[in-house]
Amino acid sequence: MEMAMNKTKESSFRMHPQKFAMWLFIVTVVMLFAALTSAYVVKQSSGVWLDFDLPFMFDITTGIVIVSSVFMHMAYLSAKRNEVSKIRIYLLLTVLTGISFLVGQLIAWQELVQEGVFFVGNPAGSFVYVLSGVHGFHLLSGVVFLLIVAVAAFKYKVHSTSLVRIEMCATYWHFLGGLWLYLYLFLTLNH
Amino acid sequence: MAVTEVQLDEHVEHAAHDDHEHHGNFVTNYIFSQDHKVIGKQFLIAGIFWAIIGGGLSIIFRLQLGFPDMNLEWLRPLLGGWITESGKIDTEFYLALVTMHGTIMVFFVLTAGLSGTFSNFLIPLQIGARDMASGFMNMLSFWFFMLSSVIMFISLFISTGPAAGGWTIYPPLSALPQAISGSGLGMTLWLVSMVFFIASQLLGGINYISTIINLRTKGMSFTKMPLTIWAFFLTAILGLLSFPVLVAAALLLVFDRSFGTSFYLSDIFIGGEALPNSGGSPILFQHLFWFLGHPEVYIIIMPALGITSEIISTNSRKPIFGYRAMIGSLMGIGILSFVVWAHHMFVTGMSPFLGSIFMILTLIIAVPSAIKSFNYITTLWQGNIRFTSAMLFSIGLVSLFISGGVTGIFLGNSALDIFLHDTYFVVAHFHLVMGSSAFFGMVAGIYHWYPKMFGRMMDEKLGYIHFWLTFIGVYLVFFPLHYIGIAGFPRRYYSFTNFDAFSDFADLNMFVSVAAICTFGAQFIFLFNFFYSMYRGKKASLNPWDSNTLEWTTPREPGHGNWPGEIPTVYRWPYDYSKPGSESDFIPQTVPYTNTPESNLPHEAEEAKNEKV
Amino acid sequence: MLNFVILVSVILIGAILVTIFRAHTLVQVVRGNKDGESLGKSNKVNAALFLVFLIGGIVLFFGYSYTQFDRYTVPVASEHGEVTFKLFWITTAVTTAAFILTHIVLFWFAYRYQHKAGNTAKFYPHNDKLELIWTVVPAIVLALLIFDGFRAWVKITDQAPDNAEVIEIMGYQYAWASRYPGADGKLGPYDYKLIDFENQMGVDFTNQFSKDDFIPREIHIPKGKPVLFKIRARDVIHSVYVPHFRLQMNAVPGMPTQFWFVPTKSTADMAEETGNPDFTYELVCNKICGKGHFAMRATIVVDEPAEYEKWKASQKSWLSKNPEYLSSLQPASPVVTEAAKEEIEEAQASL
Ligand code: HEM
Ligand SMILES: [Cu+2]
Ligand SMILES: [Cu+2]
Repeated sequence: MEMAMNKTKESSFRMHPQKFAMWLFIVTVVMLFAALTSAYVVKQSSGVWLDFDLPFMFDITTGIVIVSSVFMHMAYLSAKRNEVSKIRIYLLLTVLTGISFLVGQLIAWQELVQEGVFFVGNPAGSFVYVLSGVHGFHLLSGVVFLLIVAVAAFKYKVHSTSLVRIEMCATYWHFLGGLWLYLYLFLTLNH
Repeated sequence: MAVTEVQLDEHVEHAAHDDHEHHGNFVTNYIFSQDHKVIGKQFLIAGIFWAIIGGGLSIIFRLQLGFPDMNLEWLRPLLGGWITESGKIDTEFYLALVTMHGTIMVFFVLTAGLSGTFSNFLIPLQIGARDMASGFMNMLSFWFFMLSSVIMFISLFISTGPAAGGWTIYPPLSALPQAISGSGLGMTLWLVSMVFFIASQLLGGINYISTIINLRTKGMSFTKMPLTIWAFFLTAILGLLSFPVLVAAALLLVFDRSFGTSFYLSDIFIGGEALPNSGGSPILFQHLFWFLGHPEVYIIIMPALGITSEIISTNSRKPIFGYRAMIGSLMGIGILSFVVWAHHMFVTGMSPFLGSIFMILTLIIAVPSAIKSFNYITTLWQGNIRFTSAMLFSIGLVSLFISGGVTGIFLGNSALDIFLHDTYFVVAHFHLVMGSSAFFGMVAGIYHWYPKMFGRMMDEKLGYIHFWLTFIGVYLVFFPLHYIGIAGFPRRYYSFTNFDAFSDFADLNMFVSVAAICTFGAQFIFLFNFFYSMYRGKKASLNPWDSNTLEWTTPREPGHGNWPGEIPTVYRWPYDYSKPGSESDFIPQTVPYTNTPESNLPHEAEEAKNEKV
Repeated sequence: MLNFVILVSVILIGAILVTIFRAHTLVQVVRGNKDGESLGKSNKVNAALFLVFLIGGIVLFFGYSYTQFDRYTVPVASEHGEVTFKLFWITTAVTTAAFILTHIVLFWFAYRYQHKAGNTAKFYPHNDKLELIWTVVPAIVLALLIFDGFRAWVKITDQAPDNAEVIEIMGYQYAWASRYPGADGKLGPYDYKLIDFENQMGVDFTNQFSKDDFIPREIHIPKGKPVLFKIRARDVIHSVYVPHFRLQMNAVPGMPTQFWFVPTKSTADMAEETGNPDFTYELVCNKICGKGHFAMRATIVVDEPAEYEKWKASQKSWLSKNPEYLSSLQPASPVVTEAAKEEIEEAQASL
């Protein structure tokens, strides 16, 4: 404790407050999913558990999410290099991949329904809907955030000296991508 | 969150920041205000309002418990159909009363009212910031709380009654309207209200943490922070980590209630039919709930402990004993509070092995709590104590915290909890250690910072009377509950007339009810004092308690931005009271060591050399 | 009308109090009372009151605890209850000592070190040795208490002995039902989907183990023999709580639980001990479960073993009391669910 304290005494830790708040928000989302996935584990270990195949579509959407993160990063790099038109293109591509991810998730749900796994029924199935649904909801908020940044980009407000917004957006977007990867792995491994 | 304004720059540069009065109108100044001081007061007023409602509800059910034969017909204008033909409270409404009392007190009064008020009011003032990191988020936090309050308030008046499954809302009871009518619309409103409440807490918490980390004034290192700020800081972290878990629990409950999923429901036959749900587990909910619930009780008490540290030190005219140990024990409590939740579930049939683990972890948490109490007591030793109203309530808190804490040792012992779980013993435990302690902390805080909030002093004599009535009152109310609990009386019982085993203690129950009514009545002295002093109280001096912390360097009624000129720099910790060699018995944080060569300790003399004043 | 009168009088009383208060403050202002002065006097009063509170509190606490001992102590009637009873009093002794000592010190310091003009407080920010002591000492004391509790807990929650009398207890809004395995010593399987007006417990009476199960009005258990309660609930969570046996276990729908114990005093013994000829053991519900929660009661009779056997032998199986039940069932094959299947397997395995 002593050391940590002395360090902060000299160079008081300063991060952009919005970014810092964003990180704290991410912490809350992490806790939310930690709770849901531990509930999943607890439930699985006790009681009747239904076995079924995860929709194939999840493999595809996982791919999409990775691509989307790459686009996001390209957009960020372009912003740093002041390549205005590229920022816009990459941002739009990110939005597009984001939306197709969401559509993909819907298709995956359809696949589940066809398989006879419904939201209402054995918790094993319900959990898949809840996990992907709550994640999708957050991703939707990410898309809105992206759109806000994209609009700003079209107004020439995103460039190498005004990076905060796009940095935050990128952080959130990568986080949501990573979160899905975690959920995907989690579901695949705990099935 | 995208709308967060950036106020960082002006803080970092310590720009000469004139007291730029924002000449807004009434709405922007007092209602949709983004000023942390106004928001703090808004939380305070809302908290007081809720405390009256929550207290009033408890008086109604205490009437039932203390005077089971009384005709309560005269409550009909207030409660309408909830008074039965025979002039009795409806048995189901009794449960609704208990549930709403618990919910209101735990969340709306002692979380929002206590932490919301003092975190908002004190953080910028005590760390030397012009405002919170984001005034907008802060305002949003209050208005989410308001929205949540309105919804919860409305739920008190709907025809099927408010939620009635206990403040812990265990399913299946809370999931099935067939089981209890409060689980219909009332429970829906409860859950909706709670979602907004959590949103408010998270917005607040994010703001507190960012503010404390980013906006401390020059020199305000973590080791020089007042213990109040440490407490608020750790409380906010606790909230940030635990409230999302309650969201998860509530979300799954919503799905079970409204969409027919089976997370918590299984094998249920009710109302003459077998429900289709299968595969769920009610115990899962309890795990999720208590993962929040236990940290929540510390979210409630930690700000009160912080406030008490500050007040006891100031009024003993002594440094708080063991500053580092105080921080360490807060951290220890904070961490441990995440690994003890299942002590609320010893008799749910969970694996005995887990039971043992949680018993050990639970009793470990008693150690940091004990340390805190010992440190408070030692702070009094060889002090020069001034009994202000705030000081009285702080000493009261220490006493109540000990009295309630020792019964935790019984409950944390799973072998004993088999007998004590869900009896009045538990009720006694948490009303002393959490309910009354935190309430005392809150009241102490109000008395102490009232001069800063409203620029006037509260009447001290009335404060003394208020304290003694309340202090004696809460002991008379809650201490006898131990005996009733040891006699095996279950909690949440409408009456005890149906059992031979519980036929005794009608006298004690009556006594408790009378004491409760008197104690509740005594709070109106405080209310009068509070509102009266706002307009007629003696004008406060700048530093009425001769205190060291930064808020007392602001003008009598600090305007927007808190300090008219530059924000003062901090040179020392906040507890230099009665320092040997010093003329005055307090040295504010803003006094450099170079100015006090007569009282500097050796290592401070070193520091003085490097000081640039 | 009455309400109106009450309202008016409350307002009046309030107004009078406010006026008195105003007058009092005005008088003080006129007298020119200085702050410091009044602090001096009320400071003494407050300090003294802490001592009065301390002494009064201790007297009341010990007085009531001592004189009313028999009222708040529930006589113990089970083997493990004796152990936890002792543990309870050891814990009480330790915590009461801590409770009283800390309070004496707290209030004494408050009194002793009250403000005196000219005094200065001692600058005493920390003392590592002292702090270490009061970290370690409570830790050790707690460790000892945990150790005792841990041993008791492990024993209580251990597997029930093989010769235990198995009794099923089911909670529902707002009563308890119980079922005995009958002569074959095996409880038949159940399924909540089989519950109907007649078959309240949802027992699968087509199963061979259920044929001789009986469902009595009152729960009887033998003194001195291990008894295993198999506990379940039909609708919401209930809790089986028998204070005299120091027994508590939640009844959870969809998740059967259990608790075993050895009763040590028959109902007659208890009647003698308490001097109450009508003494009965009561099983109460101790988890909020709805509007009838406070009246969810069953009685338990503890018999001498011989009597118990006699009672058991005299009970008729449920089927023999409800002969037309089986034939009223649809001829379809019995519903076999996961739970039922498991239970059958379990039963067969143990045969
Ligand atoms: C000395 C350390 C403490 C220990 C060992 C302890 C232990 C326990 C245990 C084991 C229970 C569960 C009892 C039961 O339901 O059977 C309990 C209940 C409770 N405790 Fe504590 N506790 C301690 C301190 C605190 C503190 C500091 C607070 C609050 C600030 C607190 C608040 C509560 C509340 C609110 C409940 C009851 C919740 C409910 O069932 O409604 N406890 N405590
Ligand atoms: Cu707890
Ligand atoms: Cu019940």
